[in-house]
Amino acid sequence: MLQTKGLALEVRLSAYIDGELAESEKLELDALLARDDEARALLAKLRSGSAFGNGAFENFLHDPVPLALVRQIKQGPGINPKSERVTTASLPRRSARIWPRILAASTALFLLGGAAGFILGSATDFAEPMNQADDRPWIDDIVGSHRIFSRQKEHLVEVPGTRAAEIETWLAASVGVSFTVPNLDRKGLSFEGARLLAANGRPAAQLVYRDREAEVFTICFLKQGDGQQSDEFSETIRGDLGLVSWQREGVSFVMIGPSSDPALQDLAETVAANI
Amino acid sequence: MRPAAEMKDFRRDLVSLLPKLRRFAITLARNANDADDLVQEVCERAIARSHLWNGEGRLESWVYAMTRNLWVDEIRKRKVRSAGAVDVFERDEPHVEATAEKAAYANQVQKMILSMPEGLASVFLLVNVEGHSYRETAEILGIPVGTVMSRLSTARLRLAAMLSENSERRA
Repeated sequence: MLQTKGLALEVRLSAYIDGELAESEKLELDALLARDDEARALLAKLRSGSAFGNGAFENFLHDPVPLALVRQIKQGPGINPKSERVTTASLPRRSARIWPRILAASTALFLLGGAAGFILGSATDFAEPMNQADDRPWIDDIVGSHRIFSRQKEHLVEVPGTRAAEIETWLAASVGVSFTVPNLDRKGLSFEGARLLAANGRPAAQLVYRDREAEVFTICFLKQGDGQQSDEFSETIRGDLGLVSWQREGVSFVMIGPSSDPALQDLAETVAANI
Repeated sequence: MRPAAEMKDFRRDLVSLLPKLRRFAITLARNANDADDLVQEVCERAIARSHLWNGEGRLESWVYAMTRNLWVDEIRKRKVRSAGAVDVFERDEPHVEATAEKAAYANQVQKMILSMPEGLASVFLLVNVEGHSYRETAEILGIPVGTVMSRLSTARLRLAAMLSENSERRA
């Protein structure tokens, strides 16, 4: 604990606020505060400054950080972060009017030749918006399900992976999408099983995998009915989760895994080729 | 060489730390562009030296200290003076969740904070906002604990004065 005797009262009271004082000094200041109006006023002033500063610094966390820097950390050098800037992924959900910017940011990244994606938020220098899966509420539902179910140790899936054939029949009938459970053993992912989810009021299939470190990866898909076709993969980061989405023959797909996994897009491409 | 799994965790932790790291860098550089350059350099260095991170304590303390060292080097190289360096709010987009009025207010407040004399914002951030002890803060910033104490009380009083001014202006 600190000794502050002899220092200015504001310094001592500041340390008092932070609990950095020795007990004897704390008692001394308690006594001073009990009898001295000016000391109390000074303490209140210090506390009001603390509260005001706290709120202001919180806003800094909402400022944009360079997307390329995130990708560089995940994947290694070779990208100039100064050329791309988007907002942090750990922010609260944005208002609807921000989505066109987000979509446009992703398009700009594709044009830059980057592998994919963007982090939530605003960006500068946007290209034209592109219709991506992320602008739809179903993605929110899928992400929410992933977060909830991936924490389930005993009940990770509804139907275990040992019944893959049954899963294919069941989910094809429920979701209206014929598919084959992709074998990702060579990618280090074992098939754990599947769930049927509701996403934006529609049935969605969730195929669940684990890697060797027990990280959960999911492939989700649902019929969108708009016949949209896009061979482009769009990567998004939401907090600790990375999402790679694509569209094919009226079906929307998304692969979800840890945001730090640099191979997520590669996995998604393998899934797209085999599902 | 760190095992692949550990390296993956390290990179993940570093990504998670980015918003806070950038905020800390802004308190040092008081300039968004310089802060972003600084963050980039720090991340590259942190990854290159990740084998030196023993996993004990807070990763951010280790990275923050590296950030401070790099910034001190940068200042020496460029002989940057802090006065007039504040352009962190000169961006095209308003704060995304706020109304225009709120965004203007938030930016104004942030600008006021970063216009405080050099060193105050960093100390305030580390102690008051992020909960580092005085000793940790002193180690991160490479300054004596006594300096942490005096800067912190000064920062709090200045912030209180700003709050008062803002309240009067908005009344």
